[in-house]
Amino acid sequence: MKVKCTWIIAAVTLALILLSLPLLSACASPQAKPGQVLKIGMINPATGPAAEKGRVMMAANVDGVKYINDELGGAAGYQIEVQALDSNYDTAKVVTIVKKLMDDGCILFTTAASAEMSAAKDAANKAGFPGISCFSSPSLYRPPAHIYGQTPDYGDDALAFANYYMKNIWKGQGKPKFALHLLSNPTGYGARDAFKAKADELGIEVVSIDEHKDTTISEMESLTRIKGKNPDVLYISSTPKPASIIIKNARELGLYPGITIGVCHAGLTKALIDLGGSDVVEGVYGTYPTVLWGDDVPGMTKMIEYCKKYRPEYEGNADYMGSWAQSLIVAEALKLAVKNAGYDMLAKGDAASWKTVESQGIQKLNGYDVGGLHGPVSYTPGDNRLDKFNRVYKIVGGKIAQPSAWVEAPLVKYEQYDWFGK
Amino acid sequence: MDLPCGTRNYDYARDMAVLRTRTHWALFIALLVIVFTAPLYLSRSSLSIANLIGITIIAVTGLNILIGYCGQLSIGHAGFMAVGAYTTAIFTSKLGIPFPISLICSGLSAGLIGIIFGLPSVRVKGFYLAITTIAAQFIIIWVINHWGSATGGFVGISVPTASIGGLEFDTDARQFYLIMVVTSLCLFFAKSIARGRIGRAFVAIRDNDLAAQVMGINLTYYKLLAFFIGCFLAGIAGALFAHWVGFMNAESFTLTDSILFIGMVVIGGLGTTIGPILGVVAIRVLQDRLIYFSPALESAFPALPSGFTVGIGPIVFGLVIILFLILEPRGLAHRWMLFKAAYRLWPFSY
Amino acid sequence: MAELLQYVVTGIAVGMVYALIALGFALIWKSSSVANLALGQLVLISSWFTYGMLVQVGLPYWIGLLLTIVFAVFLGWSIERFTLRPLIAQPILSLITVTLGVGYFLEGLVSFIWPTSVAALPHLFPKEPVHIGPAVVSQEYLWAAGISLALFGMLSLFFKYHKMGIAMRATADDQLAVQACGVPVTSVFSMSWMFACVVAAVGGVLISLIGGITYGLVETGLKSFSVVILGGLDSFIGCMVAGPIIGLAENLGGGYLTPIIGPGIKDIIPFIIIIIVMVIKPFGLFGEERIERI
Repeated sequence: MKVKCTWIIAAVTLALILLSLPLLSACASPQAKPGQVLKIGMINPATGPAAEKGRVMMAANVDGVKYINDELGGAAGYQIEVQALDSNYDTAKVVTIVKKLMDDGCILFTTAASAEMSAAKDAANKAGFPGISCFSSPSLYRPPAHIYGQTPDYGDDALAFANYYMKNIWKGQGKPKFALHLLSNPTGYGARDAFKAKADELGIEVVSIDEHKDTTISEMESLTRIKGKNPDVLYISSTPKPASIIIKNARELGLYPGITIGVCHAGLTKALIDLGGSDVVEGVYGTYPTVLWGDDVPGMTKMIEYCKKYRPEYEGNADYMGSWAQSLIVAEALKLAVKNAGYDMLAKGDAASWKTVESQGIQKLNGYDVGGLHGPVSYTPGDNRLDKFNRVYKIVGGKIAQPSAWVEAPLVKYEQYDWFGK
Repeated sequence: MDLPCGTRNYDYARDMAVLRTRTHWALFIALLVIVFTAPLYLSRSSLSIANLIGITIIAVTGLNILIGYCGQLSIGHAGFMAVGAYTTAIFTSKLGIPFPISLICSGLSAGLIGIIFGLPSVRVKGFYLAITTIAAQFIIIWVINHWGSATGGFVGISVPTASIGGLEFDTDARQFYLIMVVTSLCLFFAKSIARGRIGRAFVAIRDNDLAAQVMGINLTYYKLLAFFIGCFLAGIAGALFAHWVGFMNAESFTLTDSILFIGMVVIGGLGTTIGPILGVVAIRVLQDRLIYFSPALESAFPALPSGFTVGIGPIVFGLVIILFLILEPRGLAHRWMLFKAAYRLWPFSY
Repeated sequence: MAELLQYVVTGIAVGMVYALIALGFALIWKSSSVANLALGQLVLISSWFTYGMLVQVGLPYWIGLLLTIVFAVFLGWSIERFTLRPLIAQPILSLITVTLGVGYFLEGLVSFIWPTSVAALPHLFPKEPVHIGPAVVSQEYLWAAGISLALFGMLSLFFKYHKMGIAMRATADDQLAVQACGVPVTSVFSMSWMFACVVAAVGGVLISLIGGITYGLVETGLKSFSVVILGGLDSFIGCMVAGPIIGLAENLGGGYLTPIIGPGIKDIIPFIIIIIVMVIKPFGLFGEERIERI
């Protein structure tokens, strides 16, 4: 009898929870003035394997939109209504979320991770639903369709760094030898593809390619082999944790200092310095598509104010800046779309609205400076990267410092190489 | 308890029939009508979740044959799904083979790979077997990532829309019909296996493989057959998944998925046909609802700390799994049986 | 030659770290035949707790670490009391699946309490690497190896000679018979979960000292499955031997096969070895061979 009672109580509670979910979501989105908002969806991997980035980026997305709504009066006078959803870094969930966003009348969507956009890509492209991904790999928009990259992709990072290296660091004769250490996913292999396409043009030689997982706890083995090849540069295309282990091990092996280490923009964050220790990562170079936290640019004050007010724990996190900028870019695109095509075209949130946002909003972006946080954002036909500029930084005294000038990453038409995707 | 009052069986075929009473038939037809008219009143996103549920049901049914009927633990089912998914991707996009044939081939290739990794099951049992199947998961994913010329490697591969004859399954509604038909066929196939000679052999092996062998059941043959059937269904599920997603790379098939599949079987009820359906529907619907739960909480109670709304999803998900199991350790299917019995005996419950 | 030595040293050092986590897994299996799928999350949450005590609260190291152990004991007790005890005498797969739910729950709890999601523990050990001939190994690994050896010694002795340890082994063998002999099965389970959580916590702290605290700890925890199963699920000595075997396989295999086969081969070599071992020795290297009767 007792067991039965528990069962019933539990079942009722469960049913109540499940029933209350739709109710909650219903009361959460008050339809104050119908037809007066611009609906967008923002997907971030706030839990799961990429949570260390996704959670920060989700917060920044939400805060950015809040800033636009509260202080700038929305996009062209229309409030932006955002659905910020957690994808759990799960392919299947992303697909269902994107379809839900389409049903809900969102007019564009964003993602943080390139893996999320990979999953969403097909559904979005088929429907013509425009999406902007913060981190991007070349496969998302080569060949270009309805998916846009907010910042230069993993390949562009590698090329920007190589360009900078050839101009400013390399003093020797002949071709410098590059050793690549790649994360075993598109983040890592985007860099390999870029070097494969452009190494000859840049005048560098790739002497070894190694791969690591994000759970690695020692890379002594691969670095021992790399040491045997006497490289001039070690380029790490990875996230902060594995990158910090690789750099630490390189130091222990005596490989570094002595060579130049470059890190891609997914890896060059404060977390790299925290995890590796400031003395270990001293002198490491890396690319990043935004300015530094606290730099004197017009957009910085408000961002820091919001971060301090709502998410003090994320202060100084470069990913926060990236996603804050994403919100600003989305707002700018919406503003342009409203100005060029009128609100009525966007109100319905159907295929026509998506087309309008894309052709009258995103594709009209031209030299938008994102409050100085970013390189300038422009659309050039045939190239879906919105921001093509990187800066090369150096870690000095436990801080990411010494920004270079903006380095423009060239457009690489990967689909023209027959090895791409093989 | 198993049969409604007054139902008698006069021959074996009747005893084994799936649908036996008029009520059965009525319910079955009602279910068919509801399922196949669903696209008329469900939205695109609900259909898309229904599609995902259908695909997962096929995979989990396969796993149920392995674990629930034959007692062979597999923690690599997502890997076998990947085999099926990539088979159909390569066949339809690069070789131009029609979808129905590539669907079958996906099942067969996953089944064959399943047999290879099932070979140790001849000697290894229980949780020790888990490792060879975990190994399958990692090795399959590694091969997909590094065999770029066929699979697209890390970049991923684009899968064309499924089509039979001239009929393109390009919208969620059309895919829904395709997936539901295949799911029903697979469920019927699984049920038929389970109630036939093969299924009884599986159960004998699960309960005591030594005794089964003594009775003359060929252990090697049946264990490998279980792997073949289980992985065949995983392959079919993978193929449907590939056409549903449209573009994929190996990140779509993770060890976490494999483990969650086991969770679904256990929550649904091991060794029953209805179990996987109940388990998958419960978990997938819960997962989907939880995506929209945290944002709703956040806007309803803006004062909550930011960590709370992020953490609440996994917390509720974990709690529900725990509660399901504590309250019904034998799975939802068991509860379903009790419900049926109570309904049949009502109002005289003894 | 210098390379070979480096591979061997790294392999053994890394392997000992795997072995450390694997011990926690084997402990639960040895006493209750439950596979603990929440192991990764246990590692994660205890690392975060240590971080909270040492960095956020700022306690001295010894108090902080002691509190972590107390916390792990409490965690083990509550997991057993609230999720596993109601399932005693139920199908074993249900018990295994319930740990999956526990894993999700703990993961959510971590996001809830520590929203930053990435952090580094302060350095507890000197940073200078140790040179063994031409090979180099950093001190964290040596400490991890030492501590896992010590834990292994303690656990083996405990299981061999202590009354509770013997009761634990007996419980794993036959719960009903043991209960009939008057052994309090529930407290045996409770104890073994407490022990396992403490081992997971120690392992978690040591691994986080190497690579920082990130979600990746969960998968590092999962890696221990391969170690325990290679060694034999119920064998501590198996863990201690299988860990270095896997570490060596990764490093030697990675070192010499990568130039031939291509990058990434390191990640699957252990699994290939495991499959081969499984076919030859079905109960792992040191697992207890069960004589079956009908």
